[in-house]
Amino acid sequence: MNNTVLELENISYKYKNDLILNKINLKINSGEKIALLGKSGSGKTTLISVLNGTIKPTQGEVKLFNKSFEELDRKQKSKITTIWQDLRLIEDLSAEQNVNCGLLAENNFYFAFKNLLNISSFKKAHKYMKLCRLHNSIYDKKIRKLSGGQKQRVAIARSLIQESNILLADEPFNNLDPKLITTIKSLLLENVDKNNTKKFPKTALVALHRLDLLNDFDKVIGIRDGKIFFNIKRNNLKKIHLEKIY
Amino acid sequence: MNKLKLNYTSLSFLPILVCIPLGYQLINNIHFGGFKLFQEFLISAFNPKIDNEIIITVIKRLNETILIGFFSWLVSIIFGAIFGIISSNIFYKIFNIPNFFYRIIRFFLTIIRSIHEVVWGIILMQIYGINFSIGIIAICIPYIAVNSKVFAEQLETIDYKSFESINQINAPKFSSLLTLIWNPIINTFKNFGLYRLECSIRSTVILGIFGIGGIGTNIFLSFQTLNFRELWTYLWSIAILIILSGLIFKKIKFNTTNKILSIFFIAVFFITILFSFSYFLYFIFNNNFENFNSVSSLFKSSSDLRLFDLLKLILETIILSLLSTGIAISLPPLVIGNFNNNSSKIFIKIFAFLLRLIPTPVILLTLLTFNNPSLSLAALTLGLHNAGITSKLLFTNLDSQDKRNYIAMKSLGISKMTSWLLGLFSQQAKSYLAYCAYRSDIIIRETSIVGVIGSVGLGWQLQESLSSFAWQEVTIVLIAYSSIAIVGELINGKIKNSLT
Ligand SMILES: Nc1ncnc2c1ncn2[C@@H]1O[C@H](COP(=O)(O)OP(=O)(O)O)[C@@H](O)[C@H]1O
Ligand SMILES: [Mg+2]
Repeated sequence: MNNTVLELENISYKYKNDLILNKINLKINSGEKIALLGKSGSGKTTLISVLNGTIKPTQGEVKLFNKSFEELDRKQKSKITTIWQDLRLIEDLSAEQNVNCGLLAENNFYFAFKNLLNISSFKKAHKYMKLCRLHNSIYDKKIRKLSGGQKQRVAIARSLIQESNILLADEPFNNLDPKLITTIKSLLLENVDKNNTKKFPKTALVALHRLDLLNDFDKVIGIRDGKIFFNIKRNNLKKIHLEKIY
Repeated sequence: MNKLKLNYTSLSFLPILVCIPLGYQLINNIHFGGFKLFQEFLISAFNPKIDNEIIITVIKRLNETILIGFFSWLVSIIFGAIFGIISSNIFYKIFNIPNFFYRIIRFFLTIIRSIHEVVWGIILMQIYGINFSIGIIAICIPYIAVNSKVFAEQLETIDYKSFESINQINAPKFSSLLTLIWNPIINTFKNFGLYRLECSIRSTVILGIFGIGGIGTNIFLSFQTLNFRELWTYLWSIAILIILSGLIFKKIKFNTTNKILSIFFIAVFFITILFSFSYFLYFIFNNNFENFNSVSSLFKSSSDLRLFDLLKLILETIILSLLSTGIAISLPPLVIGNFNNNSSKIFIKIFAFLLRLIPTPVILLTLLTFNNPSLSLAALTLGLHNAGITSKLLFTNLDSQDKRNYIAMKSLGISKMTSWLLGLFSQQAKSYLAYCAYRSDIIIRETSIVGVIGSVGLGWQLQESLSSFAWQEVTIVLIAYSSIAIVGELINGKIKNSLT
């Protein structure tokens, strides 16, 4: 029962004269946990931006739930959440306000207003910040005053609080120490929550650098110069695969 | 080694060369007929008239000035923010509106702000007759456009990536917009909006000089009757008002985490919008347009203004702007750098304060006591007044700057002036010039007020045409004005971009 949620059909992306993505075909099925491997500059970030609709491809079609982005309404589009490589937090807002921004899609304008005035409820935000091991002393600190690792986790909390089905994460383990990486990885990839208090994304595509983090993934995709070189089950990953892309 | 290098520092001093033609004309026009008057004017500053009668007048007139100044500030800052939002890129990106509209709105605002509030005031007065609210409306029109430009510029600094990330959350569009613009708007209000109150008050005073309410009217009358002691009572009372309003704003902490304060601000925001709209409608429908016939004759009346005269006036206005801008840029660093010790500093600060305080028409009238009216004299007036403003900014920035370089250079035995230049000013030069570029936009507009009194440039022609109800001429002059201001703004925009 392969249930495709996100699909790329013959996607190319040209920036000026450079072909950054080159005829990419990709199907992401519901529940899959995919690692996206590739060295720096291979096109991982660009691929993720195409997948979430931020970048319009020069050629080809992106389909979410079998529909192109133009056909989808706001609520359907919000089924995807992204952790950006460069985080993209709002520097002048506090950590908890930034996390609350993740709730903007399911709330009305009044909520956005209250959030900026700092009078909205931060209960849910705090819950997710705690899961990301953020200490409560930084909840009301401005982003610009946080360390790299703290910012990274605020961005992760902002993404998880959206409780979306599909997670796209671009090198989410940057700036984190090994212990935190384990915690965060289980947050991003764990299928079911034992206590059933939180909803985690069912489907995840995570761009990665480090090969030692590959366990827990079902599939591995290798990309080089904007081309997919392999798209296989993790168990089948061999050395020759990696040699092709590194 | 000793070649003059063109960098930001030397560019800040170079414009002082305008003093050569300026000085030449001024020296040729000198006369000593009014020396006594000038002396009396200066002495009266230390001896203002204070008695019961004048205090009551001051309170009454100041009340009017405060009302006009405060309401025009409030309305123009709120609508300035709103127009700033709808003339910023981010708005069009979020709502997916074609950029075409953005250009139209910006162009429209540029035209509106190219015309000085005094000109708006005089025009409105001709149409509606004297009326208390004309002062507020006259200030609001160009101020909304000026403020909207500053707000829009700040909104352009929003990182495109944070826009993409908020956009990807797929929130309702107004939520995304508000979240993105919140901090730039609040910061612009804190850094720029509060200072605009001072500007509003100054503009109210100038409008008063042209007969539109408030204390300015008394200033003009007391000058006309040569009652200098009375004049200084009024000037000092405005000084106190400006200083007080500055102090009050410094005291108020704009803490957005304070619930009651937030609710208060939001209430003020919406009440102002509602009130402005209803008042605007009331104003339009409750005036019987006594002079409107003359407006509709706009296209009928023939004009005496010949093309050659018009070109001459335009040229005069441009030269006037350039000369005054030169003084406003170079005089402050020259004076501050040369007299760089604590006692001179206080003296310069007081002098700069006076130059800001005394409305340009009064400065010009004072200078006329020993110089015949000329383009140079008008330029000197505008230049000095604006130098008062640019030097305030320069002082503020220099005072808050890290002085270690300067101290280190001085301890190496480098001369005080050179240490100041290289250790302090050189770091400020770039942002100082950027501010001056913005200032010169304002100088172009202000040429209209000195033009009226100093009988130069388009300002003078405007006054002539308005008083004879030659509406076609008025239109021509206004179009000429707008064109100069728009071209000026374009050039300044280019300069500013290359500086930042
Ligand atoms: N905004 C951009 N402008 C120009 N080139 C870009 C831009 N974004 C990405 N690129 C180019 O696209 C290629 C892929 O970049 P990216 O997707 O960021 O790779 P990765 O995330 O794998 O490091 C690189 O060669 C990069 O130089
Ligand atoms: Mg990348």
